[in-house]
Amino acid sequence: MEIIQLKNLYKIYNEGSIEVNAVNGISLTIAEGEFTAIVGPSGSGKTTLLNLIGGLDKPTRGEVFINGTEITKLSSRELIDFRLNNIGFVFQSYNLIPVLTAHENVEFIMQLQNKPVAERHRRTNELLESVGLGDKLDVRPSHLSGGQQQRVAVARALASKPRFILADEPTANLDSKATTNLLEIMEHLNHEENMTFIFSTHDQRVVNKAHRVITIEDGVVISDIEQEQLAHSSQI
Amino acid sequence: MIFSIAWKNIWRNKLRSLIVIAATTIGVAAGTFSAALMFGVATQKVNSSISNEVSHIQIHNPNFRENYEFQYSLPEAEKMMKAIARLPEVKSVAPRTIITGMIMSAASSSGIKLSGIDPEIEKKTTTLYTKIADTSGVYFGEGLHNPIVISQKLADKLNVRLKSKLILRFQSADGSLIEGAFKICGIYHTSNGMFDEINVFIRQSDLGSLIGSVPVHEIAILLHNDLQTAEVFAILKKSYPALEVLSWKELLPEIGMITAMLGMMNYFILGIILAALAFGIVNTMLMIVLERSRELGMLLAIGMNKNRLFRMIMLESILLSLCGGAAGMIISTFIIWLTSRTGIDLSSFSKGFESLGFDPVMYPEIRPAFYLGTVLMVIITGVLSSLYPARKALGINPALAVKNE
Repeated sequence: MEIIQLKNLYKIYNEGSIEVNAVNGISLTIAEGEFTAIVGPSGSGKTTLLNLIGGLDKPTRGEVFINGTEITKLSSRELIDFRLNNIGFVFQSYNLIPVLTAHENVEFIMQLQNKPVAERHRRTNELLESVGLGDKLDVRPSHLSGGQQQRVAVARALASKPRFILADEPTANLDSKATTNLLEIMEHLNHEENMTFIFSTHDQRVVNKAHRVITIEDGVVISDIEQEQLAHSSQI
Repeated sequence: MIFSIAWKNIWRNKLRSLIVIAATTIGVAAGTFSAALMFGVATQKVNSSISNEVSHIQIHNPNFRENYEFQYSLPEAEKMMKAIARLPEVKSVAPRTIITGMIMSAASSSGIKLSGIDPEIEKKTTTLYTKIADTSGVYFGEGLHNPIVISQKLADKLNVRLKSKLILRFQSADGSLIEGAFKICGIYHTSNGMFDEINVFIRQSDLGSLIGSVPVHEIAILLHNDLQTAEVFAILKKSYPALEVLSWKELLPEIGMITAMLGMMNYFILGIILAALAFGIVNTMLMIVLERSRELGMLLAIGMNKNRLFRMIMLESILLSLCGGAAGMIISTFIIWLTSRTGIDLSSFSKGFESLGFDPVMYPEIRPAFYLGTVLMVIITGVLSSLYPARKALGINPALAVKNE
């Protein structure tokens, strides 16, 4: 089932007298359960595309449909609410609220959704267990490693029961072991719970795990390949 | 939830928050202490004026106070006093004969206001008798011939001391000059130099010896409780519509005005202090918002709505203000409690204070209503200080804020 539809999307920035086409007429769909990487060199428009999908930015032209809702027509307030209930985010850095513990960070999303206390506590414990941090509930981010912080961020992203998770270069600040751990967890969630993950990444390890790789350059999709196709082409 | 996050956020940079809190503490402590001092001085003034000078209510002939003329006395004064004394709120009723005249010693003379009193009744109505030190004589008493009580200020002016002889000269009802010789039995000293300068006291019986019948020009009424003044005043005004019935506020209008304005003045001073502190809080909150712009952008991105974000910033500002305000009030309460017992002794400036009619030893006074007002002002300061920084926070673009470096 398609959950994301991008129709003829443009994002043009004005930098002084120069127009920069960060996203240049992109149309694509993403189905439920995908594990998709958006790759490209720096400045190719990956992050801009992710921001447009996540409703963090408005396109200059085109439409973005999430689960049938055209988010480009939503007001600022409606968009924040939509993100809260439909989209999970994992950023490269500054993911977590430093003054809250791992438990409180994950619980925070459900507090925003006004979920009952018992449900919040139960789900938070489950999610932190699922990312291997059941013993770090009361630890603040400053006392967690980079990889552990990202795992808490993944747990938090899942807490709101989103339609999909957007991860903007989630492994960029991690060492190889932490990256492997994180990817395994995300893969597991994708496989077991059919959670859709969309990454923007430079990291080849992430690309290798992705089932679909969309390559962008100068705001244009230059390739969109399924993992089987990638494996087949590498054999050739 | 927002409260908990806001509270924890304040302590992220302990030093910075403590500096802001310390500044607020000092400002609020200073403001509330100075207010307590002013309230205390005003209360002392009111209490000493009531207890030493005017009592709670006075009754006169409507023409008397214009020129203090002898003939304008109170009709049926005895009957009136008995009726007033029956009121349950009334503690004491004192009749006085008031005459303006001259007092003369061998060295000097001075204009005076002579009060002919009943000493035993006066002792129940005023505390003037307590203003005579042990070494300064007695407040009348048995076996004295023509005793007179004057102030230390007047004694210095006339260059007289205890047991010195003085001549009183005044005009009687028919216009004839009356003179009498009196001996100083007591010298009093109040904190009101203006009162001391002109007021002298003799027994009504001794005055009667000079002029025959002794009219009553003034009835002074002391109540059990200050708060009953308005009620009793209304009763007496209704009972004696042809007479001049005055409360202490009307007898001493400047004091009434000062006490009425004092609350407003104190709030004004505190407001100025808090306004100055607000700039510090605004600066701190702006730094906080700018430092945390990525984090705030992240919060907006993951679904924290602008209303909550605004409230969180506002709460941080309010909590900073309240911490300082609470600490300031605790400190000032302790200082006020201490100084209300020991007093603040400015006796080295006693001459100046007494010339204005104020006691040089001041006792600050806590007023709970003012404290409540202070809390409200501190909260308002926190709210107003947060408006601009919170608005800045709402303007954060989450897409730019979470952009990778």
